[in-house]
Formats: sequence, C-alpha cells, structure tokens
Amino acid sequence: MPTLNLTHFQSMTLFALVISVAFALLNKRTLKERLWYGLTTFLAFLGVAVAVGWLMYFLAR
Amino acid sequence: MSEALPTSEREPEILPFGVLLAGWVVPGLGHLLLRRWGRALVFALLVLILAGTGVALRGHIFPASARAPFDFLGFLADAGTGVLYLLVDRVDNGGPDTSRAAGDYGTRFFATAGVLNLLCALDAFEIARRRKT
Repeated sequence: MPTLNLTHFQSMTLFALVISVAFALLNKRTLKERLWYGLTTFLAFLGVAVAVGWLMYFLAR
Repeated sequence: MSEALPTSEREPEILPFGVLLAGWVVPGLGHLLLRRWGRALVFALLVLILAGTGVALRGHIFPASARAPFDFLGFLADAGTGVLYLLVDRVDNGGPDTSRAAGDYGTRFFATAGVLNLLCALDAFEIARRRKT
C-alpha cells in the first residue's frame, strides 16, 4: 500500500473537511442548512487551529 | 381509516439494535438497511477516507491486548471501525512510524474513523427507533 506524508496543514485541512461534512449530515436536515453548517464548521476548525498556532508561537517566545 | 400498504411498499421491519450492530461492523450498512442510500454512501466514504489516510500515514493501531488506560481507550476508538480494524493487519504499509508527525496524525485519523463510525451507527439506530415507535 502506498504511504502518505502530509504536512501539518494538509492533515488538518483533510481532517476538518471530513469531520465538517459528517457533522453537517448528522446535525442538519435541509441542503441549505447543511451547506452553511458544513462551511462554518470547516472554517471554524481552520480558524481556531491557526489562532491557537499563533498563540503558541507568541507564548513560546 | 388507514389502508394497509402492499407488501412491496412497506418499510422493512428491522430491529434498531440490529441496525446499530450492522452499522458498527460495516461502515454505512446500518443506513443501507434503512434504505438511506445517500447517507450510507457518504458515511461509508468518510470513514474509509479517514481510516485509509490513517493507515497510509503509518499511524499506530492499538491492539486488543492494550493494558495501559490510554492505550485501551485507543483500542476502543480503533475498534469502532468494525471490520476495517480486522482488515488493517493485512495491509502492508511498512508498519507504524510515529517518529514523524505524519505517523502521529495517522494514529488520530484511524481513531477518529472509529469514533465517527460509531456516531453514524448511533444515527442509524436513532432513525430505526423513531421509525419503530
């Protein structure tokens, strides 16, 4: 089986995408609600991770 | 007054716990039994993507013999993938390599696949239960 070597950002993006789609399907009923919920969850995953990353960067200095 | 539906149009009589078990063993099968084709396909794909990526990243798969509490929790999460957990031993990916960040992510991806599959099985269980009541 071929192996992968994803970067931190690629791993995080793939994870966020898959989980956002799953949460949107599980939690919302209409297509419009699912799209909106999935998109905001995905962006929240990325936004929070980047924000925490910068926070850790400044705390570590 | 309600009329009886012809046999072909009736919903299949399926026990909710049977759906739960089927959904856990084979990702998507719980929804498939309830004729939720779209949900079954998407959930099966999502679990397969997560589990496949976890193995391809050479993550650590916790064995059933794990004794340390966190390792045992890891096993429970991994076992959530059902039949994929049994098949993963047959995949030759060079063994786990958690010395790299990617390998560590692989461990989390596979565990998340298990937890997500359990969530999907519970969703199918809820649908079956509501239909029954």
